[in-house]
Amino acid sequence: MTATIESLSQMEVRRGTLAPAPPREIAVRVRDLIKVYRDGTEANRGISLEVRRGEVVAIVGPNGAGKTTFLRQLTTELRPTAGSVSVFGVDAVAEPERAKRAMGITPQEAGVFERLTVREHFELFARLKHLSKREAREAAREVIEELGLSAETNKNVGALSGGQRRRILIGLALLGRPPLLVLDEPTTGLDPSSRRAVWSVIRRAVAVGATVILSTHYMEEAERLSDRIGVIAAGRLIAFGTLDELLVRLDRSYRLSYRDPIDPSSDLKIRYCASFAQAQQHIARELLSEYSIARASLEDVYFNLTGEPFDKDEAEAIG
Amino acid sequence: MTRVTDIICVFRIQFAGTRREVGPFLLAAFVFPAAMYLFANAVAGVEVAPEQSRLRFLAGSIVFSLSLTSISWLGYLLLENRFTGRLKLFATLPLAPSSYVFGVLVFAIAQAAVSVTTLLVVGRALGVQMRPNFPLLIVVILLTILCLCGLGVVVAARARSFSQGSLLTDTLGAGLIFLAPVYYAPEVMPRALRVFAQLLPTTFAARAVQTTLAGGHAIGNELLALSVIAVATLALGFKLMKWRED
Ligand SMILES: Nc1ncnc2c1ncn2[C@@H]1O[C@H](COP(=O)(O)OP(=O)(O)O)[C@@H](O)[C@H]1O
Ligand SMILES: [Mg+2]
Repeated sequence: MTATIESLSQMEVRRGTLAPAPPREIAVRVRDLIKVYRDGTEANRGISLEVRRGEVVAIVGPNGAGKTTFLRQLTTELRPTAGSVSVFGVDAVAEPERAKRAMGITPQEAGVFERLTVREHFELFARLKHLSKREAREAAREVIEELGLSAETNKNVGALSGGQRRRILIGLALLGRPPLLVLDEPTTGLDPSSRRAVWSVIRRAVAVGATVILSTHYMEEAERLSDRIGVIAAGRLIAFGTLDELLVRLDRSYRLSYRDPIDPSSDLKIRYCASFAQAQQHIARELLSEYSIARASLEDVYFNLTGEPFDKDEAEAIG
Repeated sequence: MTRVTDIICVFRIQFAGTRREVGPFLLAAFVFPAAMYLFANAVAGVEVAPEQSRLRFLAGSIVFSLSLTSISWLGYLLLENRFTGRLKLFATLPLAPSSYVFGVLVFAIAQAAVSVTTLLVVGRALGVQMRPNFPLLIVVILLTILCLCGLGVVVAARARSFSQGSLLTDTLGAGLIFLAPVYYAPEVMPRALRVFAQLLPTTFAARAVQTTLAGGHAIGNELLALSVIAVATLALGFKLMKWRED
């Protein structure tokens, strides 16, 4: 681990000179965000980051790491203990209502009005986002279609499945095309095809200019959907960058999986190597016969940074 | 203007949310108090109850129905929204918490209007002698609703759980009626209770409703007291009712 961090600084210097990022407007700026809950839990311990306009940022991290706490402070649902949040230049701590006008928010957990129909739910909430009657009707129709809920339009929300309700919550965030979407685990509990539908909805929003900050349990989601990935562990942002940047930070960008030749009945073992050649050397030295070499992935970065496999249960559940 | 739209939307969401239950809701708001009216008459002896008592019972039943709608059911609605996570959904919108409260309040006022009207019609059918001063009656009823709703909001905002909250609102809704000289004269109360009861909003409300039903208008003190209580409870309610957690 120490070796990784030492070589990391050299890497960063080199990369810094290689790829100067084009200047883009900052959509969200978070400075030294600290949240200590009343019971003394230090859920965020000084998080700073900047998200550029039009960017998709995925926040990953183990359960209880502080992702939801972080997002709830962005959405003004939770008052920070210290630090600042600005959304398109608006101080979200001082002016929560104004900041929220620029945001579409899907909380990790929220109730829906079960006795409204899907259409009513969307239309009334669109009105509460200050769309005109006609705009509200149009926005509701679009969102229903995009999220694949057309067959449910006139059903009571109470009659929908868990995944369909989750999509309602995402749809409510999309109403009125807000410039910033903050989605806390938008696809948790969705089947793979609904998850893909949500991804394409998010991509479409980005295509017309939205900035997105989302948290997720799924590596694939973070890899495929986001421009940059932030890893939160124990209340700190321990890494933030593009997938390539994170892989470089890992400094051991090849993963060698192999079976111990002395004990062939054992589980697969994993070893990270700095280069392909190094992996091959290891294979020759240990006389391995059953092995595979692959480029390291976000999952490996995550494992190296947090010491935890990336939500194995969830990954297996969707297989 | 957006504020009015916000309030109307919240009202529509709540109304649509309960439209299937609105029948039983109104029925309860009317049947309960109407039964209490008959019960009070029976206990007092229908035949011998002088006109003044019947008027008191009717006024009491009106205040009772206001208490049920404004504290017990409004409280239930607010608690339900809070503890089922729907409040979180409202909190994602650029909606002022006070607009939310007003939206729910409009809903309570609509319910109260229907149940009070029904009680008045039934009272008249049962031969209660009254010469209601309607404009004044409406003012009294609105002020009473504001007082009681304020209490409902305070309880719903502070409750630690749904069951704790609904126990409190139910107890308050009924307690404020039976601890106040609503169905009986203050003279029959124990002295200590009488002093306490003098401060309850339902005491002022019952007296004011009874006076206006009899065609009187000397209710300046009652209106003043109800206004003070309404401002105090609503101010506290609005202060406690906020989207952002600390
Ligand atoms: N309202 C709360 N009061 C006290 N502690 C909390 C509260 N909400 C979350 N926590 C704690 O803060 C930590 C971070 O939680 P959370 O932000 O929900 O993590 P994540 O979303 O990454 O799973 C956890 O230890 C959790 O138990
Ligand atoms: Mg979370």
